[in-house]
Amino acid sequence: MKTSSESFEEIALPHLNAVYRAAVAICGRQGEAEDLVQDAFIKAFERFELFEKGTNCKAWLFQILRNTWIDRLRHQKIAGLTLPLDEEIVARASEDGELKWSNAEDLIENFSDEQIIKALGELPEDQRLTLFLTDVEQLSQKEVAKITGVAVGTVKSRASRARSELKNKLSSYAKQMGLIGGEK
Amino acid sequence: MNHLTNEQLEDVMQGGDADITHLNQCQDCRDSLAEKQAIAARLRSAFMSVKADAGLANRVRYQINQNNETTETAKSIQHTWTTRLHHKLWPALAAAAAIFIVLVPLSMYVLTPSTATAAQAELVMIHQQNLGSHREFYNDADPEKLAEYFKDKLGFTPAFPCTGQGMAIRGCCVAHFKGQIVGSYVVDTPKGVISIIVVTDTPRQMGMTHMPEKTGYEQSLWKSSYAQCNMVTVRLGDYSYCAIGEISKISHEYLRYLLSRLLPNIQQ
Repeated sequence: MKTSSESFEEIALPHLNAVYRAAVAICGRQGEAEDLVQDAFIKAFERFELFEKGTNCKAWLFQILRNTWIDRLRHQKIAGLTLPLDEEIVARASEDGELKWSNAEDLIENFSDEQIIKALGELPEDQRLTLFLTDVEQLSQKEVAKITGVAVGTVKSRASRARSELKNKLSSYAKQMGLIGGEK
Repeated sequence: MNHLTNEQLEDVMQGGDADITHLNQCQDCRDSLAEKQAIAARLRSAFMSVKADAGLANRVRYQINQNNETTETAKSIQHTWTTRLHHKLWPALAAAAAIFIVLVPLSMYVLTPSTATAAQAELVMIHQQNLGSHREFYNDADPEKLAEYFKDKLGFTPAFPCTGQGMAIRGCCVAHFKGQIVGSYVVDTPKGVISIIVVTDTPRQMGMTHMPEKTGYEQSLWKSSYAQCNMVTVRLGDYSYCAIGEISKISHEYLRYLLSRLLPNIQQ
């Protein structure tokens, strides 16, 4: 019979890379991401008895990762109630100042992976994770809602705002790189 | 004509229900959708290159096994207590459990072949914690203040690194090694961050192998590599000074160089 650590290694550890990528998306810095992943996996192991076998282990790990991150932010006293306001500002900015891209696919290929990840890292906390889970992990809106603890409708609007804001960030990079002018 | 809302476009991206008729007729909505899809695809490809370091899996495995051993030990003790109490053997069992509690953690280091690995894994763990953003360091430009800090925390003052040549002490802290409090420095060097951990175990007890090279003061050195980290240790007096850095940045030779720079202070 397998020990709990053997079962955990077999079921959860294969998702280490995905969880690490999510951690990079959340906190941006590699060292901190590794720290976060370690903490999240320890917590996951401690709660492994509560994991329903046969369900989506990766989604379960993402949820633990997010909670671990929030605990850290609380601990650092930099969390709080700023997120809704941030999102509102971003939403307004997105509506007011969105640039038209004549050929999105061609333009976006000009950015390096680092620039794309950096731009994502500049978005508000929960937008980063929502966009990562939706676009990179391609989870369903329902799964993302469960992980992030919000309604499906919020996931839709959050993902859309996040993508608009990401586009704005990339537009400003593109302007700096001389790829586009300032036309709207 | 009403365009699709952002939420409706999100549904389309997820392959859900949407007003396909409108989408077929409206170039603006098709452009918006194409743009969203391009961003999503590029984001996905950007993260394809992000991979966890091989050492991370090892560290997670190690921590899980440590946790597991603690849990299994606790469960075992609890089980023994509850079953044998019915036989009124609890005084004998209490003594046995006490011995068990003492012997199990000790056996990790004394009785099993994984002694060395466990010690080195703990050293690596301390180094990793030193690199983490949550480690709180004590730092002061005045070396006497640093000495006071260690004296207060450890009961003795270990030697301090000789800085310069692009090396600087980021800070000092205390950590736990084999359940005991030990001192640690973090040194920023031009090649990367190095932790120096001061322990009472000898290099041999920590499973390190003797190096043919010596320090400038003819002190013997021991080395090892574990979980993507290189380590070099020098034994001075009752203490081992173990320098650790990541394999990708810090060689054994560089660690030896750093420890040699420590020696003038150590010999004071």
